[in-house]
Amino acid sequence: MTHWTLRLPFISLRLSARGSAVALALALMIAAGALLALRLGTYPLVAGTWVAILGGGGSDIEQMILLDHRLPRILTALGAGACFGLSGAMFQTMLRNPLASPDVIGFNAGASCGALVAIITAGSAATGGTVLLGALLGAFCTAVLVVGLAWRNGLQAERLVLIGLGGGFALAALSDLLLSRTDARTAADMTKWLIGTLNARDWQDVTLVWAGLALLSPVLVWLHFPLARLGLPEDLASGLGLRLSPLRLTITALGIVLATLAVCSAGPLPFVAFAAGPIARSLLRNGQPALLGASAIGALLVLAADTAARMIVTLHLPAGVFTALIGGPVMIWLLVTQLRKGKL
Amino acid sequence: MTHPACQSPGLSAHQPASRDVRLRAQALSVAYAQAPILSDLTLDIPDGEITVIVGPNACGKSTLLRSLARLQRLSAGQVLLDGKNIHHQRSRGVAQRLAILPQSPTAPEGLTVHDLVSRGRTPHQSALKQWSRQDARAVEQALERTSMGPLAQRNLEALSGGQRQRAWIAMALAQETDILLLDEPTTYLDLPHQIELLTLVQSLNQDSGQTVAMVLHDINLAARFANHMIALRAGEVFAKGRPEQVVTRENMAQVFGLKCQIISDPVHATPHVIPE
Repeated sequence: MTHWTLRLPFISLRLSARGSAVALALALMIAAGALLALRLGTYPLVAGTWVAILGGGGSDIEQMILLDHRLPRILTALGAGACFGLSGAMFQTMLRNPLASPDVIGFNAGASCGALVAIITAGSAATGGTVLLGALLGAFCTAVLVVGLAWRNGLQAERLVLIGLGGGFALAALSDLLLSRTDARTAADMTKWLIGTLNARDWQDVTLVWAGLALLSPVLVWLHFPLARLGLPEDLASGLGLRLSPLRLTITALGIVLATLAVCSAGPLPFVAFAAGPIARSLLRNGQPALLGASAIGALLVLAADTAARMIVTLHLPAGVFTALIGGPVMIWLLVTQLRKGKL
Repeated sequence: MTHPACQSPGLSAHQPASRDVRLRAQALSVAYAQAPILSDLTLDIPDGEITVIVGPNACGKSTLLRSLARLQRLSAGQVLLDGKNIHHQRSRGVAQRLAILPQSPTAPEGLTVHDLVSRGRTPHQSALKQWSRQDARAVEQALERTSMGPLAQRNLEALSGGQRQRAWIAMALAQETDILLLDEPTTYLDLPHQIELLTLVQSLNQDSGQTVAMVLHDINLAARFANHMIALRAGEVFAKGRPEQVVTRENMAQVFGLKCQIISDPVHATPHVIPE
């Protein structure tokens, strides 16, 4: 495998040719996917008119469709998908277990349950801020509970997965209970949101998820280095000078924040966080955590699911149904390959 | 490269003024859930020599090695590296002087030998400086010394047991430490590969003066490759010294409960155990 070495006074990196090619291909796919998603829809917008509309031209309807509907929706989908992918890849790498992603171990369920509580208690006064706060609280409480219960002489990934699964089901039941306390209209909206949907996203959602990503990205760049070494056995990683406990705490906190950002902007879309990492890693095949790859795959998955949801208008299916359709088979593939290798 | 301090210029600052022992345990005790594993161990890992720790199963050999590498929480006592408590030193700084290879480690999927060996450079790298010239040189050298150069681009999963173990040793070598701790490096290897691996370890010690401490199961191999031996029994040091001082009829009976004769190995003149 060929590599390129980059050496400057303050920075030195070793990049694989394959990794760079995959990154370029994924970037192109995202760009193409986003352009396609802008074009698709019940109201046709020809590619040439976008530039005019973005520049302030076009009819009012075209302005509204592009700037108030499609663009924020697509940007939110990409951002939320990237957050899900990053969060999943971080947990999976840190815990050395492909099943340990925030949607499997109940963190997403915790975030959505928290958001639900915030929406119901705040009533009509609910803003983006309250929902985010509720979701963060829900996710962190779930994490403390699940990690606390799974703790036995350190964090055991298998215990965490099983306890997290149980916790996720309990939280889903709690969400259902909360829904039954609300009026039918709110409950119907909330049910869709709980499956995961990007209906009626506005620029507030775009700002939330992308500002979050921008703020966290320096930490992510820094974390990639130790994270790539956490795949080694614990004793070796410590022996190499990594301080495991503070690292794990940081990664867990960051992973929860990322998952919460995604849940707040797109709902707890199932299987995106779970599937993005393994797909990216199987493309890259270099034993790295593939954070960048996972974020790109996550973004593509959510964009594809949301575009599919928009296209099949007659059914009014939320995007979560489509991510589940993609993610389910990935889970089966992972389970089968892991079982074959005797790793489960 | 005759002296270990030549390997990395940064190391000289840590060299003690006198010829003290760089790694030692003082009144070290370890307990799991109140059950004592090691009790009140005081011992030195002599500089520039090969120390082999032996003892029956569950006598605390691995725990001792992990304690020496600050991977184990101690219930009493301390481990001193260069005269200072190892737990009070920066983890990265310790990792630049001391490397440990746990028993039968597993790597993440898809790693090549070169990737794995590069991981050994971690304590010399940072998020920004991930691949300095020194890193590239150390990895090349580690691959060469373990004869893994031709296999560098191979996937780890595609290697034989002996090759894989050499790759792990190469990773520990790339760390460029003065002290190398190995926990049963010969596990799952057949006899020729065990000899090959231990000969490699011996040559590392002889060529660059690297201090080696390892746990071995086989007393005869231990006696043949060690300059210094430590025999543990039920969490305590039962005997220590040169192989001929440790591998005696009485000690084997006391430590392993093994009735045996000791003869002199006709080839290497080291003590050889013949069980009765």
